[in-house]
Amino acid sequence: MALQKKICMLGAFAVGKTSLVRRYVDSIFSDRYLTTVGVKIDKRMVTVGGSEVSLILWDIAGEDDISQVRTSYVRGAAGYLLVVDGTRPGTIDVAQSIQRRVEAEVGELPFVVLLNKRDLQSLWSVSAEHIAALEFAGWTVQLTSACSGEGVEEAFQALAERVIVSR
Amino acid sequence: MTPAPAVPPEVAEYLHGFVFGERPIAWLAIDSAQTLVAAGGALAAHGLDAIRSGQPAPEQVCFLEGLLPPAASPFRLQHVQTTAGRAADLHLFAAGGRVWVVLIDSTAEHDAAQRVQQKAYGMTLLSEREAELIEELEAANLELTRTYGALEESRAELLSTNQRLAKELEEAANYVRSILPPPVAAPTLTADWLFIPSTELGGDSFGYHWIDDEHLALYVLDVSGHGVGAALMSVAAANTLRSEALPNTDFRAPAAVLGALNQAYLMEDQNNLFLTIWYGVFDRRTRRLTYASAGHPPALLLPHGACSAAQVEQLRGREPILGVLSGMAFTAHECRVPHGARLFLMTDGMFEIRKPDGSMLEFDEFLGVLAQLVPSGSAELDRLVHVLRAMHGAGPFEDDLSIVRFEL
Repeated sequence: MALQKKICMLGAFAVGKTSLVRRYVDSIFSDRYLTTVGVKIDKRMVTVGGSEVSLILWDIAGEDDISQVRTSYVRGAAGYLLVVDGTRPGTIDVAQSIQRRVEAEVGELPFVVLLNKRDLQSLWSVSAEHIAALEFAGWTVQLTSACSGEGVEEAFQALAERVIVSR
Repeated sequence: MTPAPAVPPEVAEYLHGFVFGERPIAWLAIDSAQTLVAAGGALAAHGLDAIRSGQPAPEQVCFLEGLLPPAASPFRLQHVQTTAGRAADLHLFAAGGRVWVVLIDSTAEHDAAQRVQQKAYGMTLLSEREAELIEELEAANLELTRTYGALEESRAELLSTNQRLAKELEEAANYVRSILPPPVAAPTLTADWLFIPSTELGGDSFGYHWIDDEHLALYVLDVSGHGVGAALMSVAAANTLRSEALPNTDFRAPAAVLGALNQAYLMEDQNNLFLTIWYGVFDRRTRRLTYASAGHPPALLLPHGACSAAQVEQLRGREPILGVLSGMAFTAHECRVPHGARLFLMTDGMFEIRKPDGSMLEFDEFLGVLAQLVPSGSAELDRLVHVLRAMHGAGPFEDDLSIVRFEL
């Protein structure tokens, strides 16, 4: 039986968490926005260091002004992807807040920050200075587009490797 | 009276049937080694119909990965969607040495919540975008306001500079006019003139003065171009002649005067400006007029009673413009002036008149106009300008108009 690892998708609402999972698991993309309520669970096999690992992906409803991400959903996770909408700089603050709460609730876990919607160049609002500041804080940042697929495979693979290394 | 049970068996049975009917429920029992020991209920509705007892639970039910043993008892997660496409509320609790996992279908509640949330998020995203656009518009508006303010400042500065320059030009024009000689109405000499500058500061000047009791100097000059530079040079040259400020020069000898003036105003020393000039000396005793010219239009002599162009004597020189060549010699010419004759000195602006059809006034045509004028003192010049104005049409003349009229 392959090793199983629970991975959570976290971030503000409408940053593209579900689209990233769809792109990663099913290689499809739809530009129709469908909000997530609760959590959607998916699964995909990856190879890390020659071994098969089953990633159990928890796509958790995004955070908004009224309801915060329930960190209880993150219990038992081996790592998480923190998703930011590159066209909405405010979602960086949400990601930072979630990261602090998750760390306080379940301790330090491997995570990768995904600056998503890279394909929307004309609306892109996250500056190189923003990215440099995140990296300076020790965060691993990956530019992604669920629409084009840019950076998606790399982001999940990077997290899977960090999860296995930190096991 | 014996208290009634909280929920009578009939009600409990009804509720049990209602809940199970409306919200399919499945359950799993898992031991401390995370092995599935029993399962039941609506397993197929939750996509769990293939699970087998005696096997590790997380391997068969992937969402249990990381959840066993539960962090708290009971532990509840709302609206968990699996690949079966349904949503379920997930309950985990410990009892009887086992972990019980209960899935209660929440698809209807989930879908209703999703519809509301979808609408709310859509509105929020629109409102965020609207706020961004308003912010961008406000920033653009602020920038425009700043730019407008800067433009207003520049405009005010330009206006102020323009007003200052206009005032300075007006002062310069007044000075150019101030050095012109006053009209003379004496028994032996009548002189008057007309000077109409064009829209720009021009390079015309003229003058006349007695060198001694018998000799009258008469001159008119025109510096190339327009503007402050041309005006300054014309004033300087006119002042030189008026004050007879050319060293070792007999101002009664026109050729000598032009030769000396040529040396004093070489164009290489005058910012490449040059001038044309007609200079004459009238001897009232002999009534001889000696003159020399450098590239200037001829003076025109009209005997008393002349009334046609053919009667107009053109007093021309042959030398080119003044200031081009150092050491240039000039030739003097001479003529006799009959009593009562009129002599006109002018610049080319007087006859280089552009008509409304674009053609230029012919010089002979100008002579005809001049000859037909009735001698009437200064009114004669007004009449001449009136005719030229009629030929030119509306609008300012292209060049300065300068003409001096003598009755000798």
